[in-house]
Amino acid sequence: MPRIELLVVQPTPFCNIDCRYCYLPDRNSKTVVARETLSNLFSQVFASGWVGECLSVVWHAGEPMVVPIAFYRDAFEMIDRLRPANLTVTHSFQTNGTLIDEAWCTFFADQHVNLGVSIDGPPQFHDRNRLTRSGKGTFDRTIAGIRLLRQREVPFHVISVLSAASMAAPQEMFDFYVKEGIDQVCFNVEESEGDHVSRSFAEIGVEAAYYRFLREFWRLSAAAPGKISFIREIEHAIQQVIRPADAPFTNQLVEPFAITSVDWAGNISTFSPELLGLKNPAYDDFLLGNINRDTLVDLPLRPNFARMLADIRAGVEMCRERCEYFSVCGGGEPVNKLAENGSFASTETTYCRLTKMRATDLVLDALERAPPGGSCREAVSGAEVRG
Amino acid sequence: MSLRQKYRRILSGIVPAGAAGVSLLLGTVAPSTAADHPAGLQPSAAGRAGVSERLAAIREAVSEVAEAEGEATHPSERDLHLAWGNWWNNWGWGRPGWGWPNWNNWRNWNNWNNWWRNW
Repeated sequence: MPRIELLVVQPTPFCNIDCRYCYLPDRNSKTVVARETLSNLFSQVFASGWVGECLSVVWHAGEPMVVPIAFYRDAFEMIDRLRPANLTVTHSFQTNGTLIDEAWCTFFADQHVNLGVSIDGPPQFHDRNRLTRSGKGTFDRTIAGIRLLRQREVPFHVISVLSAASMAAPQEMFDFYVKEGIDQVCFNVEESEGDHVSRSFAEIGVEAAYYRFLREFWRLSAAAPGKISFIREIEHAIQQVIRPADAPFTNQLVEPFAITSVDWAGNISTFSPELLGLKNPAYDDFLLGNINRDTLVDLPLRPNFARMLADIRAGVEMCRERCEYFSVCGGGEPVNKLAENGSFASTETTYCRLTKMRATDLVLDALERAPPGGSCREAVSGAEVRG
Repeated sequence: MSLRQKYRRILSGIVPAGAAGVSLLLGTVAPSTAADHPAGLQPSAAGRAGVSERLAAIREAVSEVAEAEGEATHPSERDLHLAWGNWWNNWGWGRPGWGWPNWNNWRNWNNWNNWWRNW
């Protein structure tokens, strides 16, 4: 039986800005998901038997904050009414931060929303790609939102898309986060997904540049304890490398319905959330059904699901057989395999090399250099170790 | 000395620092600028074990260190999960609903908040 762990809901495909690297195809459309669609969705999800004790709902795949707060208050109340008593539902937003105001801060705090803000570093990096439709930079508006979150003590993290320029400037990036009081950071590298072909991925030396960036950022953070408390790429790599031999591990991206994605119209897909909205005749555009017309638990019977699953599993088996890093990855990211290799039934991608291999190398290399038996701890005995 | 023994010696010094401590401690010894070419790009270049072999040895060592830590903390408790003690708990491996199978590894969103609270 599938187990839904993450439900990605598109409240609207619209985005109020127009980033150069955006892969969302319908970001000019101002349609909004109907209340009835949300009711059908959550009623079916909760009745499916596919949910455990916790469900994460991410409002994403468009700018969620272009939809009014009243919409979310109503939606959250409805979801709470439909929710089984023993199920915990957490809501998360990934936003460009340009629309954050006092009312949103109050909403986030009241509803305990997990908040991610997209900012690519200081303006010389951010404003290269994160633009308005008229081509102006959005840094000033995003940082104003972040400052308001800090002022109102609303917890958040940031996701920064790294370019060749910012990858070459770990000190500048570190200084920026520290100056702005941003202490939880995640890094993405501009990827090839859907119709978007990454310039960064094509650049020679991107892997070494990424490795150097992570290494230097990690060293800067460790040298100044308490400034940057969470670097996603490092923490994930440590978790994946330093774990007990029998600790279970799965890759949600290749598990059917572990991540379930629903667009504003009620169309459903699974595996990589980015697949929803992409065109592909071989897989019927990755659409398994519509929550307003179809029954969720019947979707695994769809022929296009069977084709997707067979090809994704073939790709996972190829990874298992060929890749030294399989145990930290679990079979890669389907949307990147398709975009970079032309097939789910394939193995290594630039995405793998960056996000899994080089980060793992960094942790392995650090372990190789760690002195045995505790002298590593003594080396930083003057530092505050939070644990 | 076997790989597992080597890693056990290293990990016994850092695992007690907890999840956040491990990141800080390893960050202080991360490779310097001389190491521009990640080891994983040349797994056998200097007679070094391959990545998968090292990963397997590390995990065996983690299990041993965690079990030893747990036995020291709970000498009467024989259950392995409890024996992993603070290390297990700090990283959320022992909590229902969290830990590896439920870890959200979609890169554009992470349950960082829950992860963070587990530390």
